Amino acid sequence: MALTPALALDRVSFAYGPIAALTEVSFALAPGERAALLGRNGAGKSTVARLIAGLLRPAAGTVWVGDWDTGHHPPEALAHRVGSLFQHADQQLFGRTLADDVRFGPRALGLPPPEVERRAAAALAALDLDPLAGEHPYDLAPALRKLAALAGTLALEPSLLVLDEPTAGLDRELRARVVRALLARASVGVALLVITHDLTFAAEALERGLVLDAGRLSGDAPLAELLVAPSRLEPVGLLPPPIAALATALALPGRPVREADARRVLARVAHVRPSA
Amino acid sequence: MTRLALERVSFWYPATDLPALEDVSLEVGGGEIVALVGRVGAGASSVLLVAADLAPRVTGGRLRGRVALTGGRRGLVLASPWTQLSGMAFTVWDEVAFGPANLGWPRDEITQHVERALTRLGIAALRARDPATVSGGELARVMLAGILAMDPAVLLCDEPTGALDPVGAREVWRLLRALADEGRAVLVATSDLDAAAAAADRVVWLERGRVAGAGPRALLADEATCAAGLGTSVASVWRAAGLALPYPATVAEALARWR
Repeated sequence: MALTPALALDRVSFAYGPIAALTEVSFALAPGERAALLGRNGAGKSTVARLIAGLLRPAAGTVWVGDWDTGHHPPEALAHRVGSLFQHADQQLFGRTLADDVRFGPRALGLPPPEVERRAAAALAALDLDPLAGEHPYDLAPALRKLAALAGTLALEPSLLVLDEPTAGLDRELRARVVRALLARASVGVALLVITHDLTFAAEALERGLVLDAGRLSGDAPLAELLVAPSRLEPVGLLPPPIAALATALALPGRPVREADARRVLARVAHVRPSA
Repeated sequence: MTRLALERVSFWYPATDLPALEDVSLEVGGGEIVALVGRVGAGASSVLLVAADLAPRVTGGRLRGRVALTGGRRGLVLASPWTQLSGMAFTVWDEVAFGPANLGWPRDEITQHVERALTRLGIAALRARDPATVSGGELARVMLAGILAMDPAVLLCDEPTGALDPVGAREVWRLLRALADEGRAVLVATSDLDAAAAAADRVVWLERGRVAGAGPRALLADEATCAAGLGTSVASVWRAAGLALPYPATVAEALARWR
């Protein structure tokens, strides 16, 4: 018997007034699957996130979260299964401390206090934010606030994470924390749908690329394939990230797109190339 | 000749003892793009606020040192477009015209600058849209257009490509180059080290509010910046593979080395 998908969009359409945002979009994510939602600005990516969170209702079609039709569940009920991080997440904090803010979600789910504490502590630890737990959010750089908002999302311990640009403005070290935390969640069966323009990050954390173009799903392929195919990327506003471009330019065996893989291949190949 | 210089600037936000910036000196001249890089919290945004004369004039706090400007107006594009949105305009056109209108320009001059800015950012088709309904990346372009429409001699940008798709980001870097080529001075805080290595003329590396290094774009491929996590992707992987210095900063440089 096939597993129920963690998320399924079935011919979903949506319009903002007269402006069509999505047209008959269908795809499904299995538990533990790690997908990037890619496409140019205005392609409809954030609209998909809002539909899954229940903040918008499809004009046509159905969004399934597990076996729930999102049309029949309000956002606060969906929050038991869907953890969302929105685009300007750094501005959505309101607790007096980071820890307070991270507790807000699990508390709102009605969990008992010890469970709220456990989840908040685990989420802060997953992003190495525990040393900042007592800080006031607005004393921190916006990028750290964004990371704190992600901790709040992780603390819901949902079966599906829908994240809109989680790494914008983050430096290499903070981005590595996000990668680590997301891989850990996926390894215990959480499905990931991550809207991102940061293809370097996508290569490290995600495995499947869903491409939206003007509100339609125009591509669905393994990222390792997609990222080394400039001809498939550029028409939808994307470019190969530097490591993928390097792998292609140097014809590295296996065309690695992740930094650790590229490092290994490069070290091996350079061995027989004294010029490098 | 356009020139903006920070001379031994230290800056404290209100009610703080630790300076956000400490003894920072840097300059950007007409015709060049200078990239400000650093880890999160290193002070790049504070440098831009000081350079824009918003800190301490608007933020409060305390400044030591001097900011010298010659050659004309300066304009700052904030990292978060939602923060910069005037909230006073119901169309993208009016939003972009907000700055020029406040400069008291005659109507045709406003129109001319707004049209040119919309075209240069590739958002002319959005002119009648409500800025509250455009996408995040589109709004980032609207904000940049609004600053550009004021014809600044010094352009200060905080993460101008953070919300943009990669092709859109490449276009914005090309636009910044074109603006520098017109004689403007461009100072950009960016976490996109790969783009900075390809587009900037010079790089200033900030660490805990101080200038830790400054130099040509090759700075983003040297041992110290790579060790600090501020090397480009290519330089970092080159270094991690144990290959020899100097590390290539970009794919093009790597390819040249490989042949």
